[in-house]
Amino acid sequence: MGILTILWEKWVEFRRDFYKITLAAMVAPLMYLVVFGLGIQTMSHGQSYLNFLIPGVISLTSMNGSFNAIAQNLNVQRLYEKALDQVMISPTPLWQFILGQIIGGSLRGLYAGAVILALVIPIGTGLVFNGWSILILFLNGAVFSSVGVVVSFVAKNHADVPRFSNYIIMPMAYLCNTFFSTEQIPHGLREVIAVLPLSQTSRMIRSIANREGVDFAGIGILVLYLIVFTALSMRFIYKKKNL
Amino acid sequence: MIELKHLTKKFGEFTAVDDLNLKIETGEFFGLLGPNGAGKTTTISMLSTLLLPTAGEICIDGETLSRSRTDIKRKVSVITQEYSMRQDMTMDEIMEYQGRLYFMPRKQIKERTEELLEFCDLIEYRKRRVRKLSGGMKRKLMVCRALLTEPEILLLDEPTAGMDALSRRQMWNLLHRLNEQNLTILLTTHYMEEAQSLCDRVALMNRGKLEETNTVNGLIEKLGAFAVDEMREDGVKSSYFQNRQEAISFLEGLQGKSTLRDTTLEDVFIERAGRPLERR
Repeated sequence: MGILTILWEKWVEFRRDFYKITLAAMVAPLMYLVVFGLGIQTMSHGQSYLNFLIPGVISLTSMNGSFNAIAQNLNVQRLYEKALDQVMISPTPLWQFILGQIIGGSLRGLYAGAVILALVIPIGTGLVFNGWSILILFLNGAVFSSVGVVVSFVAKNHADVPRFSNYIIMPMAYLCNTFFSTEQIPHGLREVIAVLPLSQTSRMIRSIANREGVDFAGIGILVLYLIVFTALSMRFIYKKKNL
Repeated sequence: MIELKHLTKKFGEFTAVDDLNLKIETGEFFGLLGPNGAGKTTTISMLSTLLLPTAGEICIDGETLSRSRTDIKRKVSVITQEYSMRQDMTMDEIMEYQGRLYFMPRKQIKERTEELLEFCDLIEYRKRRVRKLSGGMKRKLMVCRALLTEPEILLLDEPTAGMDALSRRQMWNLLHRLNEQNLTILLTTHYMEEAQSLCDRVALMNRGKLEETNTVNGLIEKLGAFAVDEMREDGVKSSYFQNRQEAISFLEGLQGKSTLRDTTLEDVFIERAGRPLERR
């Protein structure tokens, strides 16, 4: 199964860069938690702001982990290392290559989220994380891995990926229900932001953390994003004339 | 058998490959020659499905090649002009990745890797990452990787670029031996000596168009099997003759330094590349 080959490749990369990957996953989220959660001690929605912040930071960490694991890496393979050439001529079906990338990226995002979760456990927040949280984070990672695949194919040079990250991923990290509720955003913009995948993920993770149950509509929205971006990825790898 | 039918590739207004028709028989060692920008690498890229043709098609054993035809792709291995490898993988990992991409059993990957790295004198570097290898070692590793899957068709785009003279000779011997085992080889090269030594037939390309397909000897004889080099103030001028006697007569009539020699494929290439495409 070609998916396993790609997961093996991701595993080799993970094993080799374990410390770098782990540290990179920790630094920014830890800063957010320390500065906004512990440094500026406030209340939000009737609870400690830290409790509001943690689900959002875990969601954005899984987003960043997944997107960065795929977009930059695949772009380098395509444009700089030219390693994609060998995949293209190999008998591994290309849809399996794409799915392998998406699953591998999602697992990397899940790992990054788990690292942050492990770091906040000693704080004793009383927040709940269960199997549904894992599923939602996995789906969130899968969505942003598929976005990463599309970006890596669209990017014409190495600078394009960080550029996309600056314009799309970073604003999402701040606006999508992570550091503050989307309810505080003006009408019009609020509805647009609320429907973005990270807003859905943060909202669902927070809802589970506060024992308010699972929102299946949110899962449906994430699945829809995943289908759209996976289909786009497939279209690129099968139909793009000049890879 | 590889068949290119009306193969065309355009990049915007620029036509890199223009209505290329070519048939390469099973077990043939075929050379694709031409100056820079002739369209050789673009042709190889279409054969490896990295680029999709603007028009025309590629058939392998009668089946049309496409990105989704995994059964056809299984028969093909490619050695690209650039080092197309994950830079942070070790040699062993590169080989294993390739084997897995071709669904080879783990045991077979291990055995073949051992055998090929040993053969190419790379075995002691097997744990070394690609980024720390010399250019020649990377080339050899690419050959090992391409042969790992025991392909029926090998596409070689400048396979000996960056290799020292000894490694190049070793590579020639290896390719020659592989071809004897009925492996179909399509080679692009800038080294005419390489093409002359290895290829059964060659195709000359210029500005995306196919100028001529012929055997090496056929091309040489067409130009004239004997060459006289005349040293002049403005450089060397070569003249070609069909028989030795004619060449000797011409040589005797010359004043100044001049030599008689056999015509090579390089002469054919220089003659062709040095003048614009005349007709189609």
